[in-house]
Amino acid sequence: MSLISPIFFAFVAATIVAFHISESVPYRRVVLAAANAIFIASYLTDFTQVLPLFAFLALGYACVCTLYVRRASVVLALGVAAVLCSYIHLKRFSFFDDLGHLPFPYVTIGLSYILFRILHIMVDVRSGDLVERIGPFAFFRYVCNFLCFVSGPIQRYQDFSETDGKAAVKPDTSNVYGAFSRIVTGYVKFVIIAATADYAFTFLSPQLLQAAPVPFFKLCAIYATAASLYTVYLYFNFSGYMDIVIGIGGLLGQSLPENFDKPFTASSFLEFWQRWHMTLSQWFKFYLFNPLLMFLMAWLPSPALTAYLGVLAFFITFLVMGVWHGTTAVFVIYGFLMGAGASINKLWQEACIKRLGKKRYRALSGSTAYIYFARGLTVGYFALALTCLWVTELPQFTDLLVRLGVAGVLGTFVVLIATFAMAALALDLIRERVHIPLSLSAIQNGEIVRNLTLASKMMAIVAVATLLHKAPDFVYKAF
Amino acid sequence: MKHILRQTALTLLSFAFLYALLGGASFLVFLEPSGGGPRDFQAAERTLYMTVPKYVVLGRSVLDNSDRKVILVGASNTGVGFRQAMVQANLSCAGVSNLGMGGANISEVKQVIDLVHEVQNEQVRRLNTFVIGTWFGMFVDSDVRYADADRRRGETDIDIERYRYGFYRRTPDGAVAVLPPKWLDWGVTALRPFLLFEKLARQARAGVNLVLTGRTSVQRTDDERESVVMSKREQQEALEYWKVSMGGKDEISRAQVDVLKDAIEALLGSDEKVVLVDLPIPAWHRDASPYQRGYQEALKDIVQQFGRRPNFVSLSMDDLDENLDYSDEVHAKRHLAQVWSTRLAMVLNSFVCQEKDDTKPPVATLQSSERLSAVPKSN
Repeated sequence: MSLISPIFFAFVAATIVAFHISESVPYRRVVLAAANAIFIASYLTDFTQVLPLFAFLALGYACVCTLYVRRASVVLALGVAAVLCSYIHLKRFSFFDDLGHLPFPYVTIGLSYILFRILHIMVDVRSGDLVERIGPFAFFRYVCNFLCFVSGPIQRYQDFSETDGKAAVKPDTSNVYGAFSRIVTGYVKFVIIAATADYAFTFLSPQLLQAAPVPFFKLCAIYATAASLYTVYLYFNFSGYMDIVIGIGGLLGQSLPENFDKPFTASSFLEFWQRWHMTLSQWFKFYLFNPLLMFLMAWLPSPALTAYLGVLAFFITFLVMGVWHGTTAVFVIYGFLMGAGASINKLWQEACIKRLGKKRYRALSGSTAYIYFARGLTVGYFALALTCLWVTELPQFTDLLVRLGVAGVLGTFVVLIATFAMAALALDLIRERVHIPLSLSAIQNGEIVRNLTLASKMMAIVAVATLLHKAPDFVYKAF
Repeated sequence: MKHILRQTALTLLSFAFLYALLGGASFLVFLEPSGGGPRDFQAAERTLYMTVPKYVVLGRSVLDNSDRKVILVGASNTGVGFRQAMVQANLSCAGVSNLGMGGANISEVKQVIDLVHEVQNEQVRRLNTFVIGTWFGMFVDSDVRYADADRRRGETDIDIERYRYGFYRRTPDGAVAVLPPKWLDWGVTALRPFLLFEKLARQARAGVNLVLTGRTSVQRTDDERESVVMSKREQQEALEYWKVSMGGKDEISRAQVDVLKDAIEALLGSDEKVVLVDLPIPAWHRDASPYQRGYQEALKDIVQQFGRRPNFVSLSMDDLDENLDYSDEVHAKRHLAQVWSTRLAMVLNSFVCQEKDDTKPPVATLQSSERLSAVPKSN
């Protein structure tokens, strides 16, 4: 179901109306479960296409139930292994081609996020953090929540359960307007900014991958522009999608977690990942980084090694997070780049503290020049690493690297650092100097003006959607 | 629930207010021409419709009237070479509309014909004379011609405009009208706020171009085109370009030839007149291109097939191949367009304007309008 299709709007409107017809919690849960089922069904052309998903859900639920009966580490380990193996098989990772595939087409959309939710429940049941017994219908409503189905946010079951069919967020004039405004802002990001960046990217990127020779400096310029455009596209596409689902969640009484917090203001790679796809980062922190670090520290219990074990844990966590994004060899490279970024960042911090001391390091990292250079470096590195997400086949990827050479890659990196640093500085200066007068602010907050603003954004969304004529797609649904 | 309904009502009301405001503004800025009649669709840029494909899709209802009509279809060289005003000035019995479409292949020409038919009933169709301008560059399959990154492979510019506003929907068998053609004008009126927005966006882009490059468009003006002389290198690049554009093959698409035959057959079958024009290209291009021979053979075959049908006539202007008369490898300069248009008008005067006389043998092949040759009926 495309986010900009009339069917989606009708579906959302019908779900909201049906949800609010009665305040009965069981009734509302039935409405939400039905909405999830309809949403998943919209991706099907044949009933058989959903059978592997059903089987995956059944396996996950069986593992959870087993853990309720026997909260043993070995049961958890076997359960995690079974769920992961099924996931890898269904996702058709190219590394495991020899294992064979199911001989019919089926839906894999949302599978990654279902995996995260199932593993979270299993681990929390095993650790005792989740004592509430989850019934099969609650399990379905949680892991297949249509708002988070395609690409998160990854909500903890404990938080979901608090609002499940209960309308924890009471609709009043202010938060209903807030939800509408959030949805419309999401569409502005999704349909106007992301789609425009994608439009430009789509025209530029083929020049990088074509066989015809392109002069070196032109190639670097095109690469830097394409990488920047893709980064802008990815952020606004994904964060726009999140705004839409969080806004709709608000109208259904759900309080979904935020997934982005101004990531381009991050002045280090590690901070960037605390602001970008936050629920995924937190998931990996809780369920991979922390246990891994604990394990390493138990294995090598020397205090002198603790910092380096942290670096290793960061590397492995980000490597896995990167590899998770795709099924080809290029995503392993992406994982290495993510892991390298995180571990080098951690090593840099440790080295600075060791050499300068905490106080001087804090002073250095608070200086204006350092901040903007670090912001440029962070986003520039991320933008370059994202190449793996748009050149997903290894031969094309290596061909691009060969054509650019070391000088081309480094030159592009420097250009990206400078561009993003200057852009960040310029935006901050504008933000500091431009103040909305109090009187104007009062007018802006008036009911008529704010609704006209909302409507004008909607007009712009429809106009740009027709202007660009190719419906934008949600990029993260592929991951 | 009441808060949600209230906010929904407020949002919709605000939207409706802005929509009406912009719609009203669009009528002030671009007055709706009164009544139907011939239109120069090549002048789309000066209208609210902006592009020829959009003008054809949204503005075609002007062709639904009881006047005799000459409708020119083809690619950009039809649009540039047969100027609506020039042809019309020499043709008094019918209204001339030029629906030539940049980059069109034969399939897209067929789509244009179908679009015109959609807004006409059978009686009105009988008053049509379709002038189909062809050259070898139009005989390429849609999958090859329309393969840009920002469109679905094989979808023509006409398809894009049909789907853009939801007036048509995609099906495995092609576009299906969602909005009945008789409601087209109402649909277009409803779109006016967005068309105005689109127009403003294009004007803004033209303004940016003006600031950056000193001109509003990369398209050359008529005056600039008059003085252009192609260098040998540019000629070589043009040949390379057409090699790529034709899908890397050395032959024209036979499927496109069949589409043209089917289109002509259908037109003649519904009592419409057809003028098939073999559009000339500069001699250097014609002689160097590997496609010209196959194209001429296909055209000969078509003329043989339809040449004896009373409502069919073909026109060749192969004497107009002087290199300097063309601004590039295909497009006639303004002074040559005057000659093309005059010649076409002469043919149309005899073919469309003269009362039909069944006792005369049908005009079948016109090697040029200057030497109308009647071919006797076969025994």
